[in-house]
Amino acid sequence: MYYAGVDIGSTMTKVVIIDGGDDLLSVIKGPTGPEHRQLANQVMAQALEQANLQIGDISFIVATGYGRVNVPFADRQMTELSCHARGVSVLFPDARTAIDIGGQDAKCMKIDAGRLVNFVMNDKCAAGTGRFLEVTAAALGINLEDMGDISLRATDQVQISSLCTVFAQQEVVALLSRGEKLENIVAGMHSALAGRISTLARRLAIEPRVVLTGGGAKNTGMVEAMREKLGCAISVPEEPLITGAIGAAVLAKEICLKTADEHGTPPAKPRRLEKATFFIEENP
Amino acid sequence: MSDGSKGLSKARQIYSDRSLRARELKAEGRRIIGYPCVYVPVEMLTALDLIPYRSCGDIREPVTEADRALPGSFCPIMRNCLDCALKGKDDFLDGVVAIHSSDPQEKTARVWQSYTDYPYFHFIDMPVTVRPEAIEYFTGQLNDLKRTLEAFSGKALTAGKLDDAIKSHNQQRSLVRQLYELTKPSPPLIRGAELVQIVKALMSLPVAEGNDLLTEVMSEVKNRTDGPTKKGTRLLTWGSTLDSVEIMQVFEANSNVVMDDSCGGIRAYRAEVQSSADPLEGLASYYLKEITCARTFRQAELGESRKDYAGDLQSRFGYLKGIIREWQISGVIMLLVRYCDPFAFEMPSLKDYLDSLGVPSTYIEYDYTLGALAPLRTRVEAFLETIS
Repeated sequence: MYYAGVDIGSTMTKVVIIDGGDDLLSVIKGPTGPEHRQLANQVMAQALEQANLQIGDISFIVATGYGRVNVPFADRQMTELSCHARGVSVLFPDARTAIDIGGQDAKCMKIDAGRLVNFVMNDKCAAGTGRFLEVTAAALGINLEDMGDISLRATDQVQISSLCTVFAQQEVVALLSRGEKLENIVAGMHSALAGRISTLARRLAIEPRVVLTGGGAKNTGMVEAMREKLGCAISVPEEPLITGAIGAAVLAKEICLKTADEHGTPPAKPRRLEKATFFIEENP
Repeated sequence: MSDGSKGLSKARQIYSDRSLRARELKAEGRRIIGYPCVYVPVEMLTALDLIPYRSCGDIREPVTEADRALPGSFCPIMRNCLDCALKGKDDFLDGVVAIHSSDPQEKTARVWQSYTDYPYFHFIDMPVTVRPEAIEYFTGQLNDLKRTLEAFSGKALTAGKLDDAIKSHNQQRSLVRQLYELTKPSPPLIRGAELVQIVKALMSLPVAEGNDLLTEVMSEVKNRTDGPTKKGTRLLTWGSTLDSVEIMQVFEANSNVVMDDSCGGIRAYRAEVQSSADPLEGLASYYLKEITCARTFRQAELGESRKDYAGDLQSRFGYLKGIIREWQISGVIMLLVRYCDPFAFEMPSLKDYLDSLGVPSTYIEYDYTLGALAPLRTRVEAFLETIS
């Protein structure tokens, strides 16, 4: 039996297909773009191709992420909070705290017995999300992918005082032109973001193991800054972007098996892999 | 109402165009007095044949005018309320009675009065504690209100008239409590969104018409076949105000909202005004003690200096214990309107109290707009996922 998780995030869409033994059969990631509801079926089709399967072979599909309502071929929607918590637990069975640093939000999750038990989220202010790094990197003329390495070469940390991402852009450019070293500015940016996210996380009791996920976890400078602010060890999965999709796939398996236990195996659902639309096309 | 609709559909109609009935009555020569807060003793208005009308703004209205008169990081409900006033949306009002329930209410009242030209405007000072001396002071404030109302209306506010008005409003409170009994079954017979519409309607109609509406709704609902379906969780929403059908629908998408503590819900109807030798004292005592709002300080009597956190939690939140048991509440949404200090400060203590009862809770903030419902939905769904 096969199960799939579809995680439509604000920046990236991720699809994971697993078999009954939780082995990853395929993993596909792509940029979400503004028309995300038209994309889910395409990414799913790629994942099926990679796994050498048809849509009808998948027993249960869970959709998650901010675009989860736009996956018409999904059997269930669950929030990315539950899915990340589950996914992190599969990769790190002793995980108690997960922190996801995304492009447009930051989530902190408490985990118990592999399940989400509590959470806090920031999705109101860009200064507490990956967007803060994107915007300030662009202002400094450097690539997001290089920021980690640059910051690890810092000899000092520059304080970024702006609480607002937009004003921080001006601030970093002014710092650079005043002669501050780029590495030190970038380290300061990571420290500022890590400070905000760790303040959010402390609303929950932080217990080890602490796992960092999302795009922010791919940034070595960010991981180091979080380690410093939280004052504890931080684990990072090999592939930090797919924990939500993994969790969704595993939850898909668990829901499907539980339903089969209680009500018998349901008949195969006729699923059509098509783009979501809210409008009935008059002349298709 | 002129179009003959009744019960739930009447409540729905009033919710979508609240001022219609007030304007009809105004055209008939009646006088309408606005009040922004449920702490205002509406009985005193009814007794003088003035029609109380809750001026609470409109969540669907984008706030565009209030910025010239009020700061930005400020109670969004009061900003919205003033915004509507500045746009002339409540130009049918003959006056406003404001009250110092919170600082934004007090400050906005001043601004409201200076930017508008109502024939009548009265501000009531209200103490923060429920001590005997506070009730005495508040009674004095209500005497002051009585004087200015009598001067405005040209009528005497006799004890007899006030007693009659108290009876009618108490009758409404009793009917609302009976209505909320209908959310006890599983599934409940009435939706949270419908309760929001009904309470909004009550606050837009003269008390007798509101009582008729409640009677209609209850007989309609008892036999309905289109009630809510049973969901896995029974929620209580706790906060300053939840008067939006759209927000309530987000909460109810995957749960049954069966109880609230909100002034868009049952808060103003939970208890009765007791009869008293001095009816104004009876009103003062009811409003100050029985309205369960975070603005009132219930800790410590005069002269008390000993710390007793558990006792303090009990006096502030103990009323929830029986409600949670009787309505079989499986989760509480602690809803904050952004910048609301009184309610923000209650949240950690409320969470402690609910933890002590073993009731799961989640904290959700909104800004009294309908702009960001998707993040709200994610938080509610994630909360439900943790408790199902």
